[in-house]
Amino acid sequence: MLPGIANVGLGPYLTVSAALLVLGVFGIFLNRKNVITIMMSIELILLAGEINLVAFSSALGDLSGQVFTLFVLTVAAAEAAIGLAIVTVYFRNRGSIQVEDVTLMKG
Amino acid sequence: MHVVLADYFPVLVFVVIAFGIAGAMLGGSLLAGQQKPYAEKLSAYECGFDAFDDARRRFDVRFYLVSILFIIFDLEVAFLFPWAVALGRIGLFGFLSMLAFLGVLTVGFIYEWRKGALDWE
Amino acid sequence: MNWTLALPEIVLSVSGLAILVFGVLQRRDPTQVCSLLTLAAFVLTGVLVLLAPDGIGYNSVFVGDDFARYMKILSLAGAALSLILSMDYNRREGIGRFEFPVLLLFSTVGTMVMASSENLMTLYIGLELQSLAIYILCAFDRDRLGSAEAGLKYFVLGSLASGLLLYGVSLVFGFAGTMEYRGLQAALSASAEIPTGLVIGIVFIIVGLAFKVSAVPFHMWTPDVYQGAPPPVTSFMAGAPKIAAFALLLRVMAGPFGTASHQWQLLIELISMASMLFGALAAIPQTSIKRLMAYSSIGHMGYALMGLAAATPAGMRGTLIYLAVYLFMNAGTFAVIVAMRRRGRPVERIADLAGLGRTDPGLALAMAIFMFSMIGVPPLSGFFGKLLVFSAALQAGLPVLVVVGIVSSVIGAYYYLRVVKVMYFDVATAAFDRPAASVSLVSAGMGLVTGLFILLLGPVSSAAQAAAAVLFR
Repeated sequence: MLPGIANVGLGPYLTVSAALLVLGVFGIFLNRKNVITIMMSIELILLAGEINLVAFSSALGDLSGQVFTLFVLTVAAAEAAIGLAIVTVYFRNRGSIQVEDVTLMKG
Repeated sequence: MHVVLADYFPVLVFVVIAFGIAGAMLGGSLLAGQQKPYAEKLSAYECGFDAFDDARRRFDVRFYLVSILFIIFDLEVAFLFPWAVALGRIGLFGFLSMLAFLGVLTVGFIYEWRKGALDWE
Repeated sequence: MNWTLALPEIVLSVSGLAILVFGVLQRRDPTQVCSLLTLAAFVLTGVLVLLAPDGIGYNSVFVGDDFARYMKILSLAGAALSLILSMDYNRREGIGRFEFPVLLLFSTVGTMVMASSENLMTLYIGLELQSLAIYILCAFDRDRLGSAEAGLKYFVLGSLASGLLLYGVSLVFGFAGTMEYRGLQAALSASAEIPTGLVIGIVFIIVGLAFKVSAVPFHMWTPDVYQGAPPPVTSFMAGAPKIAAFALLLRVMAGPFGTASHQWQLLIELISMASMLFGALAAIPQTSIKRLMAYSSIGHMGYALMGLAAATPAGMRGTLIYLAVYLFMNAGTFAVIVAMRRRGRPVERIADLAGLGRTDPGLALAMAIFMFSMIGVPPLSGFFGKLLVFSAALQAGLPVLVVVGIVSSVIGAYYYLRVVKVMYFDVATAAFDRPAASVSLVSAGMGLVTGLFILLLGPVSSAAQAAAAVLFR
C-alpha cells in the first residue's frame, strides 16, 4: 500500500461514504423526473456500502470485507440489469419513464 | 512528501509509454496510410451515433439489451482473477467451486442464446 | 468441510438450472411440465431439509439447525402453494411461460439461504437472490401496465431497502470487527459499552428488514405492489420472503445483537404497534380485495413482530407459530382471489364476492374460515397465533403492546366481517367461472388446515419450541 494512503486514516473514507449514502437517498426521494436517475441513486447507495466495507477491511486487516465487496459488485450488476429490464417493460406499456407518471395505483 | 512522489513514478512511466504508443499508432497510420474518405466511411459505426451530437436522444432498446447481457457476464469474470491467483492454495474444492460457478454462467448463456437475445435480426 | 449442510439448497439450485435448460431447449410449450418438475423439486428439497445435518460449515457462513429447518419448510410450503395457484392463473391470463416456476424456485433458494445465514455476507446474498427474482415476478405480466408498475415500484423501494441494509452491514462489520454472528455475539457481550457506529448499523439493518416484511413506516410499497402484481406472485410475496426476512430478524436480533436487546427492543415495539394500528385503520376504506389483503398483511406483520419485541424464547416461539398460521391462511385467501374470475377475466372488488355463499358455498365457506381466522376467532388457527404472541408480550412486561394489539384486532374485525357479510347477505351477482381443480384444492386444503389447526398445534408448537430454543444458546 502507498504510505500516503495509509496516513489518511478511516475518517475521510467514512465521510465520503456517508455523503454518497445521503446523496443516493435524497436522489430517490427528491427526484421527480426520471426513473433512470433513481437507478443511479441506488447504485450510489450500494457504492457507499462498498467504500465502507473496503475501508474497514483495510483498517481491520480482515479480508472478508473486500471479498464481500466483490459479491456486492456482482449483485449490483444483476440489480442494474433487472432494473433496466423492468424500466424497459414499463416504458413499453406507458410510453414514458417520468416519475410523476408512475401513479396508476393510489389509495 | 518526496517518498510519496517517488512511489508514483511508475505511474508516470506508464502514462508516458501509453501516450507514446497511441501517438505512434495514430501518427504512423496518418503518414503511411492512403486517405480516401467518402460518406459511408465517415458515418457513425458500432454504436450508431454521431460522435459530436446531442447525447439526449432516444435510441434502440436493443442496445440496452446487449448492455444488460454484457454487464452480467463482464462482472462475473471479476471472480476469476482472485481464484486464479489463489488456485494453488484452495485445493480441489476451490477448483471445483469455480467450475460449478462457470457451469451456472453457461446455463445462463445457453438460455439467452436459445431465447434469441444475441440475434440482432 | 461438511458440504452436505447445504445439500437442500444445492439440489434445489441445480434442479432450477436443469429445469431452465430443459425448458429453453423444448420446442413445444414446456410450461406445464416445468411447473410440475419445480413442484417435485420443492418436495424433494423439503425431504432433504428434514434430513439435513446440524452444524456450521463453509468457513462458518452457513448454519444448519432446527430454526433454519423450520423456516425452510415454511418457505418451501409457501412457494409450492403459490406455484400451484400460478399454474392455472398464468394459463388463463396468457402469461404461462416456463420462466415463472424457475424464478419462483430461485427466489425460494434465496429464502432458504437467508434462513441458514450465519454471517452478514450470507444474509445479504440470500436476501438479494430472493428479491431479484421477485422483482421480475412482479412485472411478469409484462403487457399489463399495472404489473409493470408494480415491478418498478417494488424494484426501486426494495433496492433502496437492500442498499440501506448493506450500509448497516458495513457499519456493523467495521465497528464490531467481524461479520460472523458468533463473533459478533462474543464481541458484543465482551464490551461493556456498545459503540455508536454499531448501534447505527443495527438500526440500518432493522430498517432494511422492516422494508422487506412491510412493517410501518416502511410499508408504502405494499398496497400498490400487491394490487399490481399477478395474484399468485402476491401470494408468494406475502409468504416465503416475509418468513425469510423474519428468520433474519429473529436470528440476528436474538443471536448476535441479543445482548444489546435494550437498544433495539423499543424500536421493534414501536414498529409493531404502528403496523398493527395502521394495518387495521387503513384497510377500512378499501374496495379492492387485493389492497385489503395488503393492509391486512401489514397488520399481521405487526402481530408477528410482537413476539420479537418480547425478546424471550416464548416470544420467538409465538412469532414462529404466528408465521406458520399466517402463511397457510394467506395462501388460502389468495386461492380464493385467484378463483375470482368472471367471463374469463379476473375481478378484484370486494363487491364482486356478493352472493358467493349461494353461488359457490364451498369457496365461500373457505373464505369465511380465513376471514374469521384472521380476526382471531377460536378455534381457528389465527386465534392460537395471536394468543401466543399476546401472552408472550404480557409475560415480557409489555402490556401497552398487548392493549394496542387487542384494539387493532377489534378494528380489524370490522373489515374482515364485511367480506363475510358481502358473501352471505348481499344480493347475488353472476357466479364466478368454474375454478380449476388445483385452485379449489388449495383453498379447501388451507381451509382444513386453518379450521382444524388445533390438531396440528402440538407438532407445530414443539417444532417452533425447538427452533426458538436454538436462538438462545
